[in-house]
Amino acid sequence: MTGMQRTFKGAALTALLPIAIALLVIALGDGAQVRILSVFLINLILVIGLQMFMGNTSIVNLGHVSFMGIAGYAAAILTIPASIKQTIIPEAPFGLAAFQMGPIEAGIMAIILAMLVALIVGVVVTRESGISATILTLALLVIVHTVLVNWVELTRGMRALYGVPMKANAWLLLGCAVLVIFLGRWFRDSPLGVQLRASGESRIAAESAGVNVRLVRLIAWVLSSGVVALGGVLYVYLIGSVSPKSFYFDTTLLTLAMLILGGMHSISGAVIGVIVVTAGFEIMRYFESSPVIFGVKFPEFLGLTGFFLGLIIVLSMALRPKGVVGTDEIDESWERRRQDQSERTSAAASRSHA
Amino acid sequence: MEYVVQQILNALSIGGNYALLALGLAIVFSVIGLVNFAYGEVIAVAGYVMFAVFAVSGIDYAVVLMPIGILAAVGISIALERVAFRPVRYAPAATGLLTAFGVSIVVKNFFVTLVATRSKSVPTPEWLAYQIDIGLARIQVIQLLETTATAVALLLLVLILRRTNIGLAMRAAARDFDMVRMVGINANKVIAAAFAVSGFLAGLAAIFIIARRGVVDPFMGFTPVLKAFVAAVLGGFGSLGGAVVGGFFLGALEVFFQIVLPPSISGYRDAFVFVLVSVILVWRPEGLMGTKRQFGDKDE
Repeated sequence: MTGMQRTFKGAALTALLPIAIALLVIALGDGAQVRILSVFLINLILVIGLQMFMGNTSIVNLGHVSFMGIAGYAAAILTIPASIKQTIIPEAPFGLAAFQMGPIEAGIMAIILAMLVALIVGVVVTRESGISATILTLALLVIVHTVLVNWVELTRGMRALYGVPMKANAWLLLGCAVLVIFLGRWFRDSPLGVQLRASGESRIAAESAGVNVRLVRLIAWVLSSGVVALGGVLYVYLIGSVSPKSFYFDTTLLTLAMLILGGMHSISGAVIGVIVVTAGFEIMRYFESSPVIFGVKFPEFLGLTGFFLGLIIVLSMALRPKGVVGTDEIDESWERRRQDQSERTSAAASRSHA
Repeated sequence: MEYVVQQILNALSIGGNYALLALGLAIVFSVIGLVNFAYGEVIAVAGYVMFAVFAVSGIDYAVVLMPIGILAAVGISIALERVAFRPVRYAPAATGLLTAFGVSIVVKNFFVTLVATRSKSVPTPEWLAYQIDIGLARIQVIQLLETTATAVALLLLVLILRRTNIGLAMRAAARDFDMVRMVGINANKVIAAAFAVSGFLAGLAAIFIIARRGVVDPFMGFTPVLKAFVAAVLGGFGSLGGAVVGGFFLGALEVFFQIVLPPSISGYRDAFVFVLVSVILVWRPEGLMGTKRQFGDKDE
């Protein structure tokens, strides 16, 4: 089996579970459940986008959500009908208040814009390693949020921009999520991904082997930001409105927790992490709203979902610090286990012959 | 002139608060390499314990509540190390960071579930807001106390670090923890001491934060710790002197932008502060007071 085939098979295997979940929910679920599914698929895209940089470089990235915000706002401002814009942001610069375009063109423009910003920021971020790089990404998050809140003529400040055409449905989101799973896996297994992971483990060793660490990191950063931006655009097309608080610490921590819980070095880890956290969240949300179980009415527990999220992070870090899946992709670990087993049986066979 | 002195005093008291917290983060980081993002919750715990004591007993003497708050902060800091951070002590930095985020979320939601999301008011003595005329400028009692308390705490810390065995062990652990253990010093004790000192600093900072706000809520620790984190990195993460310098520097920077930015763009203050912080980090990745590391040194 060639490398490319293995990558393709691995990605298909990884995509199987989300596809199965999605088909099940679309076929049997009601409106609210399809909505949960849609958010789940968007989180999947965001987390894989985050994984492409963070998982391969081992640099903790706290700034990815800013690209979600940039792209989300760009897509919203470009697609909201001019008639609505005249009332909510009449003084928008660059004549944007009178301007309007289709959702597909707007989405592409938004992602390109986010990637351009990523390119400029990335030149700075990829110079650093470790904690300094993390602080730069944190600074990016705060700066973008501050601008979104304060550029009132363009973004309406803390108040939401509404009127975005709600063009995203579960099928579109599923298609994009599967595409992103393949993209992420391909990137991880590509020569670039291997160089990146090597530089993440030991920058000095990778550089002495001829890896241009800054360049490969920059490419990963821009690509990862592009995927996160796609998530942002889809999010806005799903919700139909946009406000700055969706693109700040809550989303950052949630996606980060999903990735690290599953195992940040693999795409399967990202997928498992999103599934586990989403499932846990929904179960807790049920308990939070004072349910009646076996005729007993339980009291209302606000904050239970948050409590659960925190607990799951602490426990998984203590018990499985490398995440549920570990460092390798699921198919890679299965392959290894099978090889070990066949070696063991053949060894046993040769022993019994002798 | 009066205005300048006034603003310098402002910068000192804001910077002092950041310096306390930055130092609390740096001391833990230097000993076990943990970026403790749950530090804000230590502040919140101090606040809620003071609130609980007041609500149950009706005691509103600051002299009684303050030590209780500080003790609570020290207690929770040591307890969190024992329960949450010890299992991930030898794990990579990202694991510790995530654990800290997790702890932070748990504690925050603990308060949301058991108390309320809304803020609860805590009595603050009136005399804290009194103004004293010191010739060149008028200063609030709280500012005076804050700056003095910061100075005393820093002095005390320097004495502990320089003059006691456990202080020596902590300083040595910041350089090379394995070596410290090799000469027979109990690792748990050194780490517990670091968390105790860190908790004490958080408790002290918490008192002034609460005295200013007059209320406690589950999310009160977040912004101060974010700023403290930036201050610590600015000074050179892990360097104790650097944390203090970084704290005062950040305080000065905020006051400076507050003054020079015209009102129409003053909302962008944090953006300006963080841009400048980024520039400094790119210029000196090791921080203002950090030592330059060569490739291949420990930890790279």
